[in-house]
Amino acid sequence: MSPAVQIDDLSFAHPGSDLPALERISLLVPTGESVALLGPSGAGKTTLLALLDGRLRGWQGRTSVLGASLDPDRPPLRARRPDTGFVFQEFALVERSTVLRNVLNGRLGRMSPLRALMGSSTSHDLETALAALADCGIADLAERRVDSLSGGQRQRVAIARCLAQEPRLILADEPVSSLDPARAAEVLTLLTGAARARGATALFSSHQPDLARRFAQRIVGISGGRIVFDVPTFDLSEEATANLYRDTARMPGVGLRAVS
Amino acid sequence: MRFRGIGGFAASTLVAGAILWSFMTTDVEFSRLLSAGPRIAEFLGRMFPPDPTVMREIMKGGAETLRIAILGSLGAVVLSAPLGILASETMVSPPLYRTVRTLLAFIRAIPLILVAMLMVGAVGLGPLPGIIAVAFHATGMLAKFYAEAIDGVSRAPIAALESAGAGPLARLRHAIWPQMAPVIARDTIFRFELNLRESLILGIVGAGGIGFYIQTYVRSFQYDKAASVTLAVIIMVVAIEAINVALRRRFA
Repeated sequence: MSPAVQIDDLSFAHPGSDLPALERISLLVPTGESVALLGPSGAGKTTLLALLDGRLRGWQGRTSVLGASLDPDRPPLRARRPDTGFVFQEFALVERSTVLRNVLNGRLGRMSPLRALMGSSTSHDLETALAALADCGIADLAERRVDSLSGGQRQRVAIARCLAQEPRLILADEPVSSLDPARAAEVLTLLTGAARARGATALFSSHQPDLARRFAQRIVGISGGRIVFDVPTFDLSEEATANLYRDTARMPGVGLRAVS
Repeated sequence: MRFRGIGGFAASTLVAGAILWSFMTTDVEFSRLLSAGPRIAEFLGRMFPPDPTVMREIMKGGAETLRIAILGSLGAVVLSAPLGILASETMVSPPLYRTVRTLLAFIRAIPLILVAMLMVGAVGLGPLPGIIAVAFHATGMLAKFYAEAIDGVSRAPIAALESAGAGPLARLRHAIWPQMAPVIARDTIFRFELNLRESLILGIVGAGGIGFYIQTYVRSFQYDKAASVTLAVIIMVVAIEAINVALRRRFA
């Protein structure tokens, strides 16, 4: 079986910037693994995840996702996109729509174009969406509008939308950065558990080493757009983690790039 | 009040000069100004009591004004949908939306009554020139509002749906439209209220509606009848505003 993610010598600079956001990255994620991208803000975690989701153009190197290589010059085929699910840091929900409608939006890529346009879901779409809501513990919120929810509830809706999409690879960008520690652990249990139950691969970014340790089988340290370590979780030393953050403190401009 | 340097002094001189100039160039004399008060009082006296026998004319004229406002608003919505897209920063290129926005600014700059007079000249008396004038005039504002509604949509959910594999039409339907719809509804209701208010006077230039009766009765010195129609207009404006306030609360 081909790996879920295979990256060889990948480099990328944001348009209009001469500083590379990602520099000579190589990474292999076998199918079914839960991997954490650990690193300070501005290290390049979001950029790497967006690139794997097929949203960035103009990078160098070779990258394949779920056995299909990405093209640096054009977006991936729409038919392939549902296989890669993305949990956005700022949730990216439609605020005025209901929770159920938002979760059904995750099904749009798997519906016929006509059904997607009319918003007429099949019973299978509805069952999948309701199951995702139940898995995320928010079945009772289905009819609520998103703009009436708390941050933790929104995070669960965002994950439910991703699960309803039935992805084989789940990319999650700081999925718990806005939650308190107890809620953060709950949500990561949910995300990695749902991925495991579905045989899906999970790649999530975090800037909290303790959470990465608890929920990932492997931890990839990123700093200044480079991979500085890539180790099984039980091999990760306190020293390596400490270095990851100390290095960035010395690098001018890293925080600035995160803003743009 | 303290003037802030030379700029403040220049501004106040300009304002004072403009006021003096206005007094000098018109025939505002103190004697006429003093006698104006009693004259207005006497004129108002002739309007009282309002003649209630013009109820039929009021109903007929009011209904026609309402029709002009409804059809004029409908025309404005139909014109504003494509023009709103063409004036939006997120949908078209800068040269195009700048051109369309300039065009809309010109349309807004022409007063409705002027458009109505031109339309009466073009298509003749009656409600038709009124409808065309309202549709044209209202488009200047409504298309700008629609463009702002499109540009005000949050991009993140659109990107999320694209990432999930949704096509452009599905994204328009499920990510863009739910964000836009309440803004569009509120703006359209607001513009309809303005259209109804403004079309009350269109009859004065022969473009149909209740204004026609005010003009007719004033010209024929039937001030008691003119008073009844004026009262009816005031009641209509207050009623429209009350309805609009209630509607706007729903879309808050």
